[in-house]
Amino acid sequence: MKSEDDTILAEAARWHIASGDDAMDWDAFTLWLEADPRHSSAYNEVALTDGLLQEYRDTLQDASEPLADEPLIAVNDAAPLETALETASEGAEIIRPAFGKRIRWAGFAIAATLAAVLAIPQFMAPASQVYETTAASRQIALEDGSTIMLAPRSSLTVEGRHQDHMALSGGALFDIRHDPDRQLTITAGGLRISDIGTRFDVQAQDKRVRVSVVEGKVEVSSERLTAPVQLAAGKRLSFDGDAGTASVAEVRSEDVGAWEKGRLSYDNAPLALVVTDLHRYAGVEVAVPDALRDRRFSGTLVISDGDAALRDLAQVMGLRLGGRAGAWRLEQPAS
Amino acid sequence: MESEEYGDANGLVRLLDVHRPELLRFLTARCGSADEAEDVVQEMWIKVSGQATGPITNGRAYLFRMANNLVLDRARGRRRSMQRERTWLEAEGGGVAHMPEDRADPGEPADEIIAREQEAEVLRDAIAALPEGAQRALRLYRFDEIGQKEIADIMGISRSGVEKHLALAMKRLRQALADCGAFDAAASREHGDPGLNQGQGGGKPHMEQGR
Repeated sequence: MKSEDDTILAEAARWHIASGDDAMDWDAFTLWLEADPRHSSAYNEVALTDGLLQEYRDTLQDASEPLADEPLIAVNDAAPLETALETASEGAEIIRPAFGKRIRWAGFAIAATLAAVLAIPQFMAPASQVYETTAASRQIALEDGSTIMLAPRSSLTVEGRHQDHMALSGGALFDIRHDPDRQLTITAGGLRISDIGTRFDVQAQDKRVRVSVVEGKVEVSSERLTAPVQLAAGKRLSFDGDAGTASVAEVRSEDVGAWEKGRLSYDNAPLALVVTDLHRYAGVEVAVPDALRDRRFSGTLVISDGDAALRDLAQVMGLRLGGRAGAWRLEQPAS
Repeated sequence: MESEEYGDANGLVRLLDVHRPELLRFLTARCGSADEAEDVVQEMWIKVSGQATGPITNGRAYLFRMANNLVLDRARGRRRSMQRERTWLEAEGGGVAHMPEDRADPGEPADEIIAREQEAEVLRDAIAALPEGAQRALRLYRFDEIGQKEIADIMGISRSGVEKHLALAMKRLRQALADCGAFDAAASREHGDPGLNQGQGGGKPHMEQGR
């Protein structure tokens, strides 16, 4: 039995079990699936197994104790010691799904469905355009002359007759022309950003969103915020949808959208966020233990070489970079 | 703005709209194909817009779970039809002579019933062979339909202990089925990677060996 496959299957089983819980971290699961195409197959097999288990539930339950005269097949001849070790180590490598965090979508929850039928033409007719980037960024030109630079590994959906409704996952630098007749709305990780003509950058990963304004002014609102926030030039709003917190800080305009020029600048940013950006912009994956996720980083990383950026980050933060290319880990040094 | 109108009409439709990029990304990774991901999102949209839902505490998780289940339904159907194909090919002796659709009676349900009985038996034996803790947790979880948190209370262990037991159980049961060739065609076809078939004899069906 190849041990690598065994690890994958153990992880797949962990994800499958976690998926039964409301607190399942679907974004982390997505990353896990993306990391290796074998992950999806392994997950399928585990989930199909569970499906069969439920399908045959009645049959299996009746015979809950195997009959003594029935030949018993030892499927996996594991010695007790091995079992103990396996149980202890299984899933140790996996990004732990976070439990206990829950967002209430009170506004959405009371869902009246009658009008849904009427909604079909609106949803379907102005065909939405989906822009997705892989390793390279991409410029998107809107009909009114506005431009959007979509970051690598990001996705932007543009909808509405006036291209005025967008949904972003990942990063993008918006350069929007002023048009009094139109208000642009961007949804990203639980935030709504409204704009009348400005230049601003949005980074959205999971429920963490950063909005940085270079010119003009935007309005940011969310179910999680008591009131909309007006964000002026030179300001950055950092929103954490899980914690339900938002903070506004100064930002240097030359640092906004600097990813376009190959660097990422931070001021007191949580390590988890920096690592997410490094994945998006430099294509490197690194695991961060929970204890380090909120460690703060300030500084600039050059992202032309992802592994080098990672080494720089580890050095500045006094952490150790363990593992190997493709499976890096940031660790607290022993001493 | 017109996009507001439907947003308030059906919370889930709006949520699906909001989270579509993330769902697409998830589904692309999950299906291994961007086209299939699009199909699934369409399917979701039809379901969501025609469905009366009660209050949902976490709509985003609800949508992801729905996406995941739809992919699984597809995988389930694929596995069954592959199994069927294989059974016919085997019956031809050597499995080279005819395409499945050339066979006189492709729908032979008896084959399928036998296959199901065999699968159930493999599972029963594999459950019996599980370590005690994993077995107990699994029975509570799947047969008594008790939640993970309650199982932790019943067994007097931590929540993550329950997860580990259940994950181990799932992994062992999956292995038992894989050893009998239950996933042979289905799993390897998706990504052209047969690396996960660790059963004896690789690609050959071995359903009978369980006896």
